[in-house]
Amino acid sequence: MEKKKRILLVDDDPDFVEINRMILEASDYEVDAADSVALALQQLEQNSYDLLIIDLMMEERDSGFTLTYAVRSDERLRDLPILMLTSAQEKTGFSFLLSEDQEWMKVDDFAAKPLKPAELVARIEKLTGKGAQDAKP
Amino acid sequence: MQSREARILVVDDEDIIRIGCQRILQNPGFTIDLAENGRVGWEKIQQKSYDMVLVDLMMPEMGGLEVLEKVQAHDEQIITIIITGFATIETAVDAMRKGAYDYLPKPFSPEELRTKIRRGLEKRWLLLEAEELRRERDRNLLELSNEKSRTMTLINCMSEGLIATNRTGQIVLMNPAAQKLLNLPPENAVGSTVEGLLGNPDLEKLIAGELETAARTATVTSKEFAVAEERFLQSNTAPLHDEKGEVWGTVTVLVDISEDKKLDQLKSDFVSLVSHELKSPVAAIAGYLNLIIDGLTAGNPQKEREIILRSRDKADSLLMLINDLLDMSRAERRGAAKVKELLSLAPILEETIQFYQNETAAKSLSVRIEGLENLPRVVGNRDDLARLFANLVSNAIKYTPERGEVGVKGRKRDGHIEVAVSDTGIGISKEELHKVFGEFFRARNALAHKISGTGLGLAICRRIVDDHHGQITVESEIDKGSTFRVILPVPSGQ
Repeated sequence: MEKKKRILLVDDDPDFVEINRMILEASDYEVDAADSVALALQQLEQNSYDLLIIDLMMEERDSGFTLTYAVRSDERLRDLPILMLTSAQEKTGFSFLLSEDQEWMKVDDFAAKPLKPAELVARIEKLTGKGAQDAKP
Repeated sequence: MQSREARILVVDDEDIIRIGCQRILQNPGFTIDLAENGRVGWEKIQQKSYDMVLVDLMMPEMGGLEVLEKVQAHDEQIITIIITGFATIETAVDAMRKGAYDYLPKPFSPEELRTKIRRGLEKRWLLLEAEELRRERDRNLLELSNEKSRTMTLINCMSEGLIATNRTGQIVLMNPAAQKLLNLPPENAVGSTVEGLLGNPDLEKLIAGELETAARTATVTSKEFAVAEERFLQSNTAPLHDEKGEVWGTVTVLVDISEDKKLDQLKSDFVSLVSHELKSPVAAIAGYLNLIIDGLTAGNPQKEREIILRSRDKADSLLMLINDLLDMSRAERRGAAKVKELLSLAPILEETIQFYQNETAAKSLSVRIEGLENLPRVVGNRDDLARLFANLVSNAIKYTPERGEVGVKGRKRDGHIEVAVSDTGIGISKEELHKVFGEFFRARNALAHKISGTGLGLAICRRIVDDHHGQITVESEIDKGSTFRVILPVPSGQ
């Protein structure tokens, strides 16, 4: 049997973590959760993941970016696919476009919260499939 | 004007002339006085105002020319007619040069006298009328200048800034408020041009634009602009037209709208904050429901029940939040809608403590009550004050670990009372202490201890205390506890 893909869910909202965990587990992913950047980095150190899902705003406004930057600067984690989730639009008035903002955000995909279960799963399948096949330069 | 009575003085040393004149001029329209020489005549002139003086040139004691000079110096509008026995051109010219209106050579016929008198009086009435008109004009000018100075006083006292410019953009009027609002030095700006002077390109452009508006309609252009950090002005500029409809200049009224802007910002910040706080629990409930609908919990009744319970908790917290929001808007409402009465705090505090006795018992907290008996009464809204102390007491209980202590102490101070609600709970860090009365603030350690709350309780307290002209303060130390003090004024006479 093929080994289950493993996802780290980084969000400080316990309901959000719980809901997404159930959705992802139902789609046969193995899910770990971290509610802070520090805890996430610790988990990334200890385990090997196929995908990182990050909430942009956690304890600080830009916690998501901090974590993304730390991951991208790490030799071992550089190619780990990242899905950035954000409800930033309503709070900051900013909206992001993958085509325009991917370059500086250094994530592979992002979406506005909340996401419908089917759509979340579809996006994740795309990212984990891709992540396994070709490594990014 | 002919209806007025003419007062005429006849000065002549010849009785026959005096009497003759009196007879000839005997007429209801005339009052005739007589003087037998120049000195007596001059005395009469000083005592009574005459419209006309007939004066003989050759008299003992004081001659006609001297009388004429004195009359001219006294009141040059008195018509003087010289009567002369030897009417030479020289004497006549001399008299006329000295201010005589006419001369009458002796002997003269009654008709000649009447004609001279009539013409002289006509002149006199014209002079008087002209004088009256002059006085009226002077009075009007004075009134105008008073009016202008009153208007200027009004303009200078206005809190709104006022700037008027002429057609070329020169400032013709700027009141002190305008200088202050635009942060201009106190030098007189009148006479300078708008460009560069106002230090505000937006406003300068606006005024220049109005000048170019040849439109005869009285259009007002409103604009908002920033003059400094967090300082906003609203300008209302309109063209001024002269009677031909040509643009004569502009007038601009400046109003400081910084406070309105600040309130607007606070309000929209608050609305966005509230929306976010309301959205989170609803989004969670929707997410949980989706799990069940999508069948992700199928076959796991225990998980399903867990999810339903969580959703219920979210709905409860949402309800709590909405109640707090309603309380908050209630606390903000002022005026007639809210009844304030003279009331005693002791029963309110005791009821509050009573209300929470299950909670205190569950955590084995001891409750210390002191000094409530003799507290003077305060003026307040009963429901609001009950809510205030319920929030403080329930917080004290909520944030205090088991077997801790909650205190409610009242004391009277000069002109006010102080109620201190203290606990031996988790406390608030120094860095966060100043934020506790803000909306939706939750202390880090409260979140870490997973103590639920809306972050509105103390914000409501602050609003209630503000509405009662009181003060609320907090002292706290991490892991030692917090003390909230409410100070309320006591009406005099207690």
